[in-house]
Amino acid sequence: MRKSVVFILVLAMMAAQSIAFAQKRPKTQKLTEEQRIVHVLNRLGFGARPGDVERVKAIGLENYINQQLNPEKIADSVAENKIRDLSVLNMTTAELYEKYPQPGQLLRQLQSRGMLPADLAEAREMRADAPKNNQPQPPAGNPLEDPKYREMIEKYYRENGLQRPARIIAELQASRILRAVYSERQLQEVMVDFWTNHFNIFANKGADRWLLPSYDRDTIRPFAMSKFSTLLEATAKSPAMLFYLDNFQSVSPNAGRANPLRPQRQRRGINENYARELMELHTLGVDGGYTQKDVQEVARCFTGWTIFQPRGGAAAANAMMGEAGRRNAGTFFFNARVHDDGEKTVLGHKIPAGGGMKDGLMVLDILTHHPSTAKFIATKLVRHFVADNPPPALVDRVAATFTKTDGDIRETLKTIFFSSEFNSTEAYRAKIKRPFELVISAIRTLGADTNGGPGTHRWIERMGEPLYGFQTPNGYSDAAESWVNTGGLLERMNFGLALASNRIPGVSVNLSKLSTDQSKVMDDYLKILLAGEISAGTREAMLKQLDKSDPVTKVVGLILGTPEFQRQ
Amino acid sequence: MNRRYFLKSGSIALASVGMSLSAPSFLNRIVLGNGVTGGKRKTLIAIFQRGAVDGLNMVVPFGESNYYSVRPAIAIPKPEPGNAESAINLDGFFGLHPSMNSFKQLWDSKRLAIVHAAGSPDNTRSHFDAQDYMESATPGVKSTSDGWLNRYLQSKEDPDRSLFRAVAIKKTMPRVLQGRAQALAMTSLAEFTIRGGKSSANLQNGFEAIYSRKNTDPLADMGRETFEAVNYLKQANPEQYKPENGAQYPRNAFGNSLLQIAQLIKAGVGLEVAFTDLDGWDTHVNQGNSRGQLANLLQQFSSGIAALYQDLGQRMDDVVILTMSEFGRTVRENGNRGTDHGHANAMFVMGNSVRGGKVYGRWPGLKDDQLNEGRDLALTTDFRDVFGEIATRHLGSKDTKSIFPGYSLNSSHFKGFLG
Repeated sequence: MRKSVVFILVLAMMAAQSIAFAQKRPKTQKLTEEQRIVHVLNRLGFGARPGDVERVKAIGLENYINQQLNPEKIADSVAENKIRDLSVLNMTTAELYEKYPQPGQLLRQLQSRGMLPADLAEAREMRADAPKNNQPQPPAGNPLEDPKYREMIEKYYRENGLQRPARIIAELQASRILRAVYSERQLQEVMVDFWTNHFNIFANKGADRWLLPSYDRDTIRPFAMSKFSTLLEATAKSPAMLFYLDNFQSVSPNAGRANPLRPQRQRRGINENYARELMELHTLGVDGGYTQKDVQEVARCFTGWTIFQPRGGAAAANAMMGEAGRRNAGTFFFNARVHDDGEKTVLGHKIPAGGGMKDGLMVLDILTHHPSTAKFIATKLVRHFVADNPPPALVDRVAATFTKTDGDIRETLKTIFFSSEFNSTEAYRAKIKRPFELVISAIRTLGADTNGGPGTHRWIERMGEPLYGFQTPNGYSDAAESWVNTGGLLERMNFGLALASNRIPGVSVNLSKLSTDQSKVMDDYLKILLAGEISAGTREAMLKQLDKSDPVTKVVGLILGTPEFQRQ
Repeated sequence: MNRRYFLKSGSIALASVGMSLSAPSFLNRIVLGNGVTGGKRKTLIAIFQRGAVDGLNMVVPFGESNYYSVRPAIAIPKPEPGNAESAINLDGFFGLHPSMNSFKQLWDSKRLAIVHAAGSPDNTRSHFDAQDYMESATPGVKSTSDGWLNRYLQSKEDPDRSLFRAVAIKKTMPRVLQGRAQALAMTSLAEFTIRGGKSSANLQNGFEAIYSRKNTDPLADMGRETFEAVNYLKQANPEQYKPENGAQYPRNAFGNSLLQIAQLIKAGVGLEVAFTDLDGWDTHVNQGNSRGQLANLLQQFSSGIAALYQDLGQRMDDVVILTMSEFGRTVRENGNRGTDHGHANAMFVMGNSVRGGKVYGRWPGLKDDQLNEGRDLALTTDFRDVFGEIATRHLGSKDTKSIFPGYSLNSSHFKGFLG
């Protein structure tokens, strides 16, 4: 008897665990209209705000999806107002270099222009001399370890209207949070998140923190729903990517001696980093059929794709080019002098000698039209929008659309959104929210307000996925099993508690506004946060937890921490 | 991960049938009842240098003349008395980077061994693939779903069923510990709890009820693990911790990670495998020589590990520290005074049971015709032979077949740095 009970339990569990983190659910049922709306609001956006379900119902789900596919036609004044004061968003890279300088670099520049204040110069000298005879050496190069020196620099920054560079990424992160919370163009924000992850850049690599605002504004955002080829070319030319994957300093070993700005300063050479990741992570996928030889040939094609004054306007450039040199710091340019102009062969295609910048464009064209790229992008999109284990039949159809439409992202997305797989009970609430998605959806569903500041971002970071904080170019995984873990789960519960009790700086939530009847508070909030869909087990446990003192805060905190709310 | 839940849930089902069903929080009692005394046990601390450290500037082959001719800007000078910027002489041929002088004493007391020219036989130069292969220990096979340290845990039943048998001091679970065996990821012991002010205990009860076994979502399994761990840790009282023997951890994230590991070991919570990592070794540009970018990182790395060693004191009888990095870097410096992705690399093995004071592994040489693909340090030791020696001779594993699938581990290939 006991054995057979165990056996049945085990069988039931085997069925339930056939997909990692998938739940047992009846396969035959269809989603109700309301569930389909909730599903679309979760997957094409960051969750339903109070009233959203009714709004979508009124205009019709299909109309809503089509609207979302054309974000340029959606008015978005609320979100635009929210980000209005984030000044880095509207600044050129050159302006960012000037207004948000790195202290060490600023001092070197001031010194070379003969403009370094005497007291600062003296403090700097002392610091530079100190470690010479010491052993072991303290980590060199960080002037800010000395409190007095730091104080003087801070004074200089204040007096000259400068800000610390860390502020740039904080504002950029805030803009992403604010737009995800407030924008009516929800799918656009989801796609910005998707492509930012696909073409991942790590903010703490060298100059990238100054280059990222332009990357978001000029590279990812305008092309998030255009042709894949357009987006790919934009990333290939983006200073942020050129810097992150080192291509900005990849030059033909046979060239470069004639560069007047760098007379014999360095022996330089080819850098394969971008070429490899371009194929492995941006287009073909790691098993997409390229060889080490292809990597080397692609790297030759991209020699000379570089950044003008990658670390800001240096004195030499300013002297030579004056205001123009200053203005263009940190922008893309093709340096024909250091390009390898010989013939290349990439994935069997001959690229004739003398092509100059066309070589790289030809490579992008070859990669965009390679069947591996269609398959790779389709797989990633289906994994993002449908299920951690993408249904192969859907991937094939999505890849076919991608190929047929010359990589049209909208059309490719349409194939997903109107597929039976997307609209299935298996896909419904099957994906676990990534930290960014969890935080944004909690704020949205409660109708809370955020200023997007570090108080909000810190929670995303605590759960393990800070924006622009993933070091390696593969970006955060969209498959839960590679990142969901006990520590992260605990932080999710703690986040729910902090939000419900209004303890997150910069976020305010008014829980009494959504439920006025104390006796119905749990059911009201289950409806608001989970469309009333909760397992019997969770519901029973919740009921036992209700007590007299401040039930709303507790109920909401607990619901935000349920397994059900972790899913979308 | 799916099989993990199946097995874990399966064992819970068995327990629930066998035990009194009326016990309210039976789960914690079963597990905690068995697990409070982790007792004395063998521990491995694995440290990953992510981004591919330049092994040739970390453990410098100063006896190779070609080393100096292909690295004009970044080479570390030969050992020279009184020159603090020269390599620290180990054996007349190899030397440590000068910023790693905190390792010198461990070397002299024969507690530090080095395996040079070790790594993955796969030729990939992708960080992701190479890290993946090193963590899965199945070079060339991407479909392996779990990490080798997790497979070690799977291969050997833990009689104490410690919840802290494997801990990654990381925000997210690293590949090497992913798999169906119990493992935890956390950044700090003190913060690993429900933080709800005065109502914390009450709220935790609420969550424990929500994540009870009545909940069929696989996430609930994870929730239960989480609270078992939280409760267990409270008993160990980590907030009272003070490093011993005058150990001073560097005040940075890496130093703090190592300090968390020391706490877990001393708390006797049954830690068998600890993992942490240090990023930033991908020195394509301006790597520096005796000073600079790499020097700073090596200083952080070595002083942290030396502090951990000192803090653990006699406990290092039962602990082995192993360091690894996904691949080495090109033998020649590149046009940016840096190095590009290469092949074989150096690994450190430390502990009181280690036969240290020796560089293990056949040295393949740095002459042009001795290089891998004409550019990298050739490989003479498969990293699985290093892992395997530690798994069998230190951790006492008897089932290396399941830990290293597709590789026939042969103790005759072991380097002999352990007994």
